[in-house]
Amino acid sequence: MSEIVIEVGKRHIREINEELQEACKTGKPIRVVDTLSRHNLGVGLPDGADITFEGSVGYYCGGLNTGSRLTIERNSGWATGEGMAKGHIEVGGRAGMSCGAAMIGGTIHVKGDAGPRCGVAMKGGNIVVEGTIGYQSGFMAHAGKIIALGGAGESCADALWEGEVWVAGPIESLGVDVNVIEPTAEEVAEVDAILEPLGLVDSSRDWRKMVSGQRLWYFEARDASAWLMI
Amino acid sequence: MCGIAGRILNAPGAVGRDLVALMAAQEHRGADSTGFAVYGAPMDSGYVLRGMGFNKGQMDADLDLFRATLREHGGDFLSDPKIISDASKHYCFRMEISDPTDLAAWVSDADELSGRIEIQSCGRSLEIVKDIGGAEQVSEKHKVHDMIGTHGLGHARLATESSVLPNASHPFWARPFSDVAIVHNGQITDYYTQRDHLRRAGYRFLTENDSELIAVWVSDQMKQGLTMEQALRKSITSIDGVFTFMIATPDGIGYAKDRFAMKPLVVIEQNGELAAATEEQAVRTVFTDECDVINHDGPSLFGIWGVGNRSMAA
Repeated sequence: MSEIVIEVGKRHIREINEELQEACKTGKPIRVVDTLSRHNLGVGLPDGADITFEGSVGYYCGGLNTGSRLTIERNSGWATGEGMAKGHIEVGGRAGMSCGAAMIGGTIHVKGDAGPRCGVAMKGGNIVVEGTIGYQSGFMAHAGKIIALGGAGESCADALWEGEVWVAGPIESLGVDVNVIEPTAEEVAEVDAILEPLGLVDSSRDWRKMVSGQRLWYFEARDASAWLMI
Repeated sequence: MCGIAGRILNAPGAVGRDLVALMAAQEHRGADSTGFAVYGAPMDSGYVLRGMGFNKGQMDADLDLFRATLREHGGDFLSDPKIISDASKHYCFRMEISDPTDLAAWVSDADELSGRIEIQSCGRSLEIVKDIGGAEQVSEKHKVHDMIGTHGLGHARLATESSVLPNASHPFWARPFSDVAIVHNGQITDYYTQRDHLRRAGYRFLTENDSELIAVWVSDQMKQGLTMEQALRKSITSIDGVFTFMIATPDGIGYAKDRFAMKPLVVIEQNGELAAATEEQAVRTVFTDECDVINHDGPSLFGIWGVGNRSMAA
């Protein structure tokens, strides 16, 4: 199947994204060239498209993705895949700050390192980082999994809610209200099921799984009577 | 928002042109005003001044008064000031002066005229050019494109805590330390506390802009005996807020980031030359070939980039 080539260069970003939306309707693979680290490329893409970004992209690439497969050959800027619901984003280099922020589904796979606050406030989906995740990654993650095959920076999983942060390498420091637990064999199998299609399963890994301590922030309505003394 | 940039060349070259390109690429981060700090060929003696007057109708009288203040301190204009103006009420000037007996004492007296005329930079090689408008607009007016030098800084401002005034633009000069300039992206939350402390130590601030104090704070730490590296490290724990700043001297550019890592800094270094900016797309306007990009996006980072392998630790 022939591929559609879309050139970015100095063109207006709205024009490029409209052209991308039209190209997605053809069902053909799409190659985006001369990306120049421009921001907001491929925001709001529909289900089913297969798009390769040649070079580096700027902020918010793949934001609000609803099911497309995006391959970014080099680096991505801040907030890659922010708010995405479905689909797959692969970053060949490193991802900037807040990768996968508030995402609710799909998978982001970063082959290099990810910057600070990776997965901040995420509500579902998976982020797999082959390198390290930066400062305060997993901050207030409500759901989903952040899986770092390398290490983690300072304040890892700070104020984590119902999300999980898995780290196979060294962790500089933990954030507040976090527990580190020994994962069960079933839980490791769940993570391996995410890594398997990426070709990243390695049984020798020494996983540490971080979950919410549920001391400072967790609150449910059923506990209200105790708090209000009624 | 705000966007900042730094550029280092191995030898004197078109640093003005590069800084304009870096800032034009980040204009969406704030086009209220744009400014540049360029380090050109250093003078053996005397200083190059960049400044601003606020009422063109009083320009001759104000410049005469300014000159009289300088003469009282043993210095003088070395030539007639070059005036840059447009339809705005304010005007800008560039001039070269001979050495006053005591630079800080003269600057203190000259700053008494700050409602009418004020110094934006004073150095053997530093020239700060700043004005209302976007990068190309400011460059066109002040011919920044044509400025030759080894390194420099750029800033695009989105005014938040203080007014959109030409003199509240960045970069800021570390008054009264010659040849020190700063650009900053962020908010200093203990600004008034820090400013009061520095004012009690004898420093004067001409704006309500939080960035103005960082250059003075770092320079004061160095005056008290810290190296640039030590001062940058200390700034991370001593100044409250979210910030990324770059501070330039004749020897190079230092940077520091706060503990929360909320403000970006992206760098490309190649063969001793460097471009740093808030956004990757900006540094790629200077280094157009595919090359490695360093994201300094972690917390509590600091460092120094020397010009021509010169040390900044003195």
